Amino acid sequence: MMDLAFLDAPFTPACAGTDEPDGHALDALDAARPAMLGPQRALMPNLSEVQEHLKIVHGTTTLAFKYKSGVVVAVDSRASAGAYIASQNVKKVIEINQFLLGTMAGGAADCQYWQRYLGMRCRLFELNHKERISVAAASKLFQNILCGYRGYGLSIGTMVAGWDHKGPGLYYLDSEGARIEGNLFSVGSGSLFAYGILDSNYKYDMEFADAIELGRRAIYHATHNDAYSGGTVRVYHIDGKGWRRISEDDATVLHYQYNPGKK
Amino acid sequence: MSTASIAQALNEQRGGFDFELAKRNAALEGAGMKVPRATKTGTTIVGMVYKDGVVLGADTRSTQGPTVADKNCQKIHYIADNIWCCGAGTAADTEFTTALISSKVELHRMATGKQPRLVTALTMLKRLLFRYQGHVGAALILGGVDCNGPALYQVYPHGSTDYLPYVTMGSGSVNAMAIFESEYKDGLTQEEAMKLVHKAVLSGIFNDLGSGSNVDLCVITREGHTLHRGYDQPNPRRFRYPGGFTYTNGTTPTLSSSFTPSRTPAAVVGGAGMEVDA
Amino acid sequence: METMSRDVAAMSGYGASSAAAGPTMHQWSPYVMNSGTVMAICGKDFAVIAGDTRMSVGYQIQSRNVGKLLKVTDKAVLGTGGHCQADTLNLQKLLRARMVQYEHQNGKTPKTSAVAQLVSQMLYGRRFFPLLTKNIVAGLDEDGVGCVYTFDVVGCLERVRVACDGSAEELIQPVLDNLLERQHQQDKPKPPPLHVDLSREDVVNIVKDAFTSAGERDITTGDHVDIWVIDASGVHQEKFDLKYD
Repeated sequence: MMDLAFLDAPFTPACAGTDEPDGHALDALDAARPAMLGPQRALMPNLSEVQEHLKIVHGTTTLAFKYKSGVVVAVDSRASAGAYIASQNVKKVIEINQFLLGTMAGGAADCQYWQRYLGMRCRLFELNHKERISVAAASKLFQNILCGYRGYGLSIGTMVAGWDHKGPGLYYLDSEGARIEGNLFSVGSGSLFAYGILDSNYKYDMEFADAIELGRRAIYHATHNDAYSGGTVRVYHIDGKGWRRISEDDATVLHYQYNPGKK
Repeated sequence: MSTASIAQALNEQRGGFDFELAKRNAALEGAGMKVPRATKTGTTIVGMVYKDGVVLGADTRSTQGPTVADKNCQKIHYIADNIWCCGAGTAADTEFTTALISSKVELHRMATGKQPRLVTALTMLKRLLFRYQGHVGAALILGGVDCNGPALYQVYPHGSTDYLPYVTMGSGSVNAMAIFESEYKDGLTQEEAMKLVHKAVLSGIFNDLGSGSNVDLCVITREGHTLHRGYDQPNPRRFRYPGGFTYTNGTTPTLSSSFTPSRTPAAVVGGAGMEVDA
Repeated sequence: METMSRDVAAMSGYGASSAAAGPTMHQWSPYVMNSGTVMAICGKDFAVIAGDTRMSVGYQIQSRNVGKLLKVTDKAVLGTGGHCQADTLNLQKLLRARMVQYEHQNGKTPKTSAVAQLVSQMLYGRRFFPLLTKNIVAGLDEDGVGCVYTFDVVGCLERVRVACDGSAEELIQPVLDNLLERQHQQDKPKPPPLHVDLSREDVVNIVKDAFTSAGERDITTGDHVDIWVIDASGVHQEKFDLKYD
C-alpha cells in the first residue's frame, strides 16, 4: 500500500498566534517557509527567472463606495503581464459569500486564493456562532492572515465590502497589513483616474441609479486612460438582501455610448 | 562653421562606425532599459575542400531569441567570383563585413588586374575583426579557388583564423562536425563533396534549434562558381486550415474616412524650361 | 551588518573561503526552461486540448516525444506547457495521487471543476517556490458542456472558452481571440458564454493550423502535437506531425 500520509501534512501558520485550522493544504508552502529564515536564506531559489510570470494582474482599476442605501463595487477585467494582456475577462470581484464581496488588485492568485480561504473562514464562523459574520470581523480575519505573511512577498490590494447588522461596510486592506474603514476607495494602477470622477461626483445621499452610473463611469474613464486597465466594466451592488451583479459592459461599447459624436 | 558641423564633416569623411550615442546608451542600460537585440543567424555553416574545388553550405534560418526572424535568409555571401564566404553570428555584422571586404577586394582586383587571392580577402577580414576586438560579431567561413588552388579558411569574430580542409561554424557546428568527422575523406569528387556538405547542414537543421529551413550550397571550382540557393527544401509547411480564413468587408467598422490627394509638382510659371538635351 | 552577513555565508557553507574578499552571495537556480506549447478550446459537447511533444534546453532538443497532456479523469485532461519538465512531472505525479485519494475518500471521480480547483490549490501551495508550469485543464463540466480552465504559475484560476499557454502563447492566443472570441470582428456574433460555436472538425483544424504556424516561428515548438478530444464517450487521442527543424 502506497503511503500517502505526506499529502496530509498539517498546515503550520506562518507566524505564531494566528488561528488557522489544521489540515489546511498549504503543505508545500510550509515546506518552503523555513528556508526563508536564518542562514539557509542562501538556499532560497532565485526567483528572478519566474518573476515575469508572477506579475500577472498588476494593472487594475477597482473601486467601491458606500452611499445611503448600500455599497457599489465596480471593476475592470484586464490582466497584464508586462506589456502582454494575459486576459481581458478576469473576474476581479470575488464573491466571498452572499453578503460579502472582495476586489482583486495585485497578484491575481494571491487575491483569489486567500479570499476563497476567507470564504471558508466566514462560513465556519457562521456555523460556530449561528449568525452572519460582520464586515468588520471578516476583514479583520483577512488582515490577520495578511499580517502573518507580511514580508513574504504577497501582493494584494483589496476592498472587502458587505452588509451586516450595522448596514453597509467597506474596508481597504493590503499585503503590507493595512486595514482602513472608509466610505470610498479605489485601488490599482488606474485608481487616480477613477478618483478624479468619483471625488467630483460622489455624494452619500445619491440615488441608486446615480450611484451605479458613477461607479461604471469612473471605471470606464480609468480603462480609457490607463493602458493596464480595460476589457469589461463590471458593477455590483450590495444592500440588505445581499449582493447583486448589476451590469457587465464592454469598455469599447461604453466609450461610444459616453462619446456619441466621437470618431 | 560651427564645431558640431566640423565634427560632422570629419565624421562623414572618415566613414566607419559612429560611437556618438555609446555613452548615452550605456547610461540608459545602466538605468535598466532593455536593449533591443540584434538578429543572430544562430546558424549551421560549413565548408569543405574537395579534389577540384570548395563546397560551402549553410542553413537559412535567422533568429531573434526563440523566434524565427527569417525563414529563408542567405548566409553564403559573395566576395569575388572565385571567393565566397559563409557568415554566422550577428546578421548585420556578417552582411556588412562581407560586403565591405567584397568591395575592397574588387578595388584591389581592378588596381592589380589580377584574380583576387583568398589570403588577400582573409587578411582584410581578420584585420578588420581584430581591430574591433570581437564587437563585430562575425564568424566566417571563407572559401574559394585562386592561383594556388582550392582553399578554405575559418575566421573567428576576434580575428583569429585557421586553414583547414573542412570547417563548421555557428550554433549547429557540433552537429555538422559530427558528420564531417565520421565521413570526410581527402580527394572526394564534386558529387560526393556536395552530398557530404548537404548531410552536414541537414544535421544542423534538424538537431540544432538555431538552424532550420533550407540548405544552400555554393560550389567553387577553377572554372567558376555555382550558387545553389534552396538546394534542398526539407521543411515545407505541412498543414493549412482548409479553405483558409476569410474576412468580409466591414469586419472592422470604419469610423471615419478622408482623402488626401498626392501632391502635384509645382508648375513652372513663365520663363523657359531648363534645356536638358542641348 | 558586514560581520553578520559574513557569518551567514560561513554558516551556510558558502563563500567561507573567500571571506577575505568579502562575503559572496550564492543563489540557487533550480529552474530550467524546457519550453513547449499547449492550447485548448471547448465546444458545446466536447473539448479539444493539444500540446507539442518537443522538449528542449537552449538550442538543444532533449526529446522529440515528451507528451504534455495527462488524462486526469475520463472527463478532464491536464496540459502543461512553457515549463520546467521536472516541475511538470512533479505536478502530474502528485495530481494522480490526489485523484486516487479523492476516489477512495468520496467513492466517485471528481468533477472537472474540482480537478481545476485542486490544481489551483496545488500550484498556490508552492506560492513562494513556484512550480514553473503553465497549465490548462480541459474537459466536460457536470452538464456535459465543454470547459477549459487556465492557471497562472501560482494558481490563479479562470474558466475560459479558448486558452493557450507556453512558449508560443503570444503567437497563438491573439489568433484564437480573433477567430473564436471574435475580437475585432464587430459584424460577427459573439460566441455563447461557456463555449465556442464551432464544430469539432473546425476546432481540430484550427488547432492543427495554430500549431503548424507556431512551429514556423517558434524554434521550441515542433516535432509532433498530441491532440486529444474529450467528449461523452471518452478521450480520443490523435498525433499530428510538425516540422523537425
